[in-house]
Amino acid sequence: MRHPSRIWTAVLVLSLVTTEARAHAFLDRAEPKVGNTVASPPREVTLYFTQKLEPAFSTISVTNAAGQRIDSGKARVSGSQMSISLKPGGNGTYHVNWRVLSVDTHTTDGNFTFQVGQ
Amino acid sequence: MSWSEAGLGDGLIAVRAVHFAATANTLGALIFRSLIAEPAFGATPEAVPVLAAQIRKLAWTSLVIAVLTGLGWLLLETMQITGLSLWDALTQEGLSTVVEVTQFGQVTVVRLALAVLLAISLAGERVWPVRRLTLVSALAFTGAIAWTGHAGSTAGDLGILHLVSDVLHLWAASAWIGGLLLLMSLLNSSARHQSAAWRKLEQNAVSRFSLLGIVAVSTLVLSGAINAWIIVRSWQVLLATAYGQLLLVKMAVVALMVAFACVNRLWLTPQLAATAAADASLQLARNSGIEFALGLAVFAIVGALGLQHPMIHP
Repeated sequence: MRHPSRIWTAVLVLSLVTTEARAHAFLDRAEPKVGNTVASPPREVTLYFTQKLEPAFSTISVTNAAGQRIDSGKARVSGSQMSISLKPGGNGTYHVNWRVLSVDTHTTDGNFTFQVGQ
Repeated sequence: MSWSEAGLGDGLIAVRAVHFAATANTLGALIFRSLIAEPAFGATPEAVPVLAAQIRKLAWTSLVIAVLTGLGWLLLETMQITGLSLWDALTQEGLSTVVEVTQFGQVTVVRLALAVLLAISLAGERVWPVRRLTLVSALAFTGAIAWTGHAGSTAGDLGILHLVSDVLHLWAASAWIGGLLLLMSLLNSSARHQSAAWRKLEQNAVSRFSLLGIVAVSTLVLSGAINAWIIVRSWQVLLATAYGQLLLVKMAVVALMVAFACVNRLWLTPQLAATAAADASLQLARNSGIEFALGLAVFAIVGALGLQHPMIHP
């Protein structure tokens, strides 16, 4: 305790020489499932993540085969699960884009598709 | 990654590392006082004012640094979450939004309130019988860090186990690493005074710290194993990811600390009762200093670990 300022300088130096880390997202699973085909247009899309989410900073958007947004605009978050209601969007490839903030403050994003009909 | 993003990430690692070290020293000083110094004072009343002043000085200095770095951590996280610049984060409701709607922001506010409570009880304990409040608020201030990290975001029943394990991990690390500076100080004072009373105090304190160390290391190993099992789950992840590799480096540094602690416990502590006790005291103080420096390296690694997204295999 003779030189507390030196000790705190050492802490700072040690912390600066460590590697900076970037976050990577993990979507656990989705309903409809990623890449799968469902017979009729789903009423909602639900995403399950590996960590709990912050509702205010977590969003999903869904577009249909014509590129029109068919989600209600307001995602519902409960723990590590996020859902959004869909309007009828017809058959074809649906695109899901998500961006979430986990409770431990990692922001991650991603996208996937699923097929409707055929 | 832009330069500003990299700079923000480096800043977060630095501010988190200093915050964790300062928080651990705050709690460690108060645990040292309650479990080591005060019970060992008995026959050495002349040591009381010297050590009591050093403990209070360390607790106060560390608490001030912990509060300042805690505020810095909140500000940098706000910039990272909202994408705002420093000025905009302060002026465009970025900070207030993060505080109001995120768990990290809410826990930070609670921790700042606990820091104020701790400061009030530290300032008032000469007047009021509030020592227990001081220790309890320091335990809460430290343990609440668990809710800001990976443990706070683990879902379900596993999340409760993760939080309990992380809180115990934080307390054990604080008790061990946070007590080392005061142990060094006590050993150096004893070597300077070279009186029978100081030697008795030193033997008593070292014996108590040794027991505390065994409990702390056991708790760290058990809680660390639980945390690693929840987050990592596989050898492949441990060896192949940046998170796993950083964790391995942390474990290696902790193992080195334990090796020094074993030398202290098994080799140097028995020599304190011998004729060359002053030499043993100084060597114990030196080894404790090395342990503390390694402990700071661990905090630096933890500063970076918390920013990694752990690869959890479902």
